[in-house]
Amino acid sequence: MLTVLGGLLALAVGAGFVGALSGLGGGVFIVPALVIVAHIPMYDAVGASLISVVATSAGASVAFVRDGWTNLRVAMVLECATVTGAVVGAFMAGHIAPWILELLFALVMLQSAYFTIQKKDVETLPGPDPLCRCLKLEGELPGDDGRPIRYGARNLPGGATLMLIAGITSGLLGIGSGALKVIAMDYVMHLPLKVSSATSNFMIGVTAGAGALVFLSRGAMAGSIAAPVALGVTAGALAGSRVLPHANVRALRAMFVVILILIALEMGWRALRGI
Amino acid sequence: MAEPLKRLQSAASQDQTTRDEERILRRWTPILLRTILIVASLILAIGLFMMARQAPGAYVERFHAVQAGRIYPQDPLGKMLTQAEHGDPHAIVVFGLMVLTLVPLARVAFCFLLFIRERDWTYVAFTAYVLCGLVVGVLLGRVG
Repeated sequence: MLTVLGGLLALAVGAGFVGALSGLGGGVFIVPALVIVAHIPMYDAVGASLISVVATSAGASVAFVRDGWTNLRVAMVLECATVTGAVVGAFMAGHIAPWILELLFALVMLQSAYFTIQKKDVETLPGPDPLCRCLKLEGELPGDDGRPIRYGARNLPGGATLMLIAGITSGLLGIGSGALKVIAMDYVMHLPLKVSSATSNFMIGVTAGAGALVFLSRGAMAGSIAAPVALGVTAGALAGSRVLPHANVRALRAMFVVILILIALEMGWRALRGI
Repeated sequence: MAEPLKRLQSAASQDQTTRDEERILRRWTPILLRTILIVASLILAIGLFMMARQAPGAYVERFHAVQAGRIYPQDPLGKMLTQAEHGDPHAIVVFGLMVLTLVPLARVAFCFLLFIRERDWTYVAFTAYVLCGLVVGVLLGRVG
């Protein structure tokens, strides 16, 4: 038993570590690791990953909420869209052929690779539009000199639409869909990048939790897989977040793009063989 | 003159309410998240440890069953909780996973109650919708 359990834990710790370093989250790496290395069926890998995403999000968002980076109101409004999507996605996952899930996963990996290359670091801080002002979605982020900097939010309907898609992807594929969530908040709603990342991290837990509840109540959560995966990914993510401030981010990004493309190719190939 | 003054006072009072909500959320949300996460992780670790001690063969058998795509029948929640209480390692692990999924549920429920207390009805509606979505998820899972 210890060999199997140790192997699963090692895979999960590795996925959590790489997920934290890349900023994409452990789900993107643990699902292919379980499918390709541990030969777990895609559907069971998705269930186990959703649970690990809940744990990682809860662990990682603590500091962001406390330090004021997370926009709690934006999260609560957009969670309506992501939870709807996640419940629909997790329900569909039980009725879709595994090769379709694998193909979708490959496409999402390619999108994540593209997102990693395109990630911009320049922040724009426009004022809020009337709807966002009415919902009090503007916020303050901690400035370098200690004084808070105000920012607004715009285009809530556009952001919510993308969040619905992110939720469906999360429920279907067992990932946090952090890349898509950051795009929705950063590019579409014009929130500062760091606020988008922190808020996305916070929302991922509820999104994945909604999907995990569908799997759990269906009796389709393999506890023997999900438990070590949840513990391992959380531990790996914790270690990754400690190493991240000392890492060469540019070199890491290039490496992750290569890894994501390789995994996408492998998952795509598996999907084609499964048709 | 009285009307604009009233409006100003009302806006200031709303701003104060928003700031109070924000302060309470930022203080208590991390505590809530961390506490449930630690409790769930402990339950999972204890369950896995007990599995390794009491039934290592059963764990490997379950792992291979999942690999082969076989599905174990799931016990009803009540029976599962009783088994966990009697120290059944697999039931303890499943119970730990349930506690873990409570993390987001508890966080949204906390926000819902806070917004009710502060009479912020717009956000009561948003958080109620999310809670309903989570309940629908459970019901959909039971349907199929």
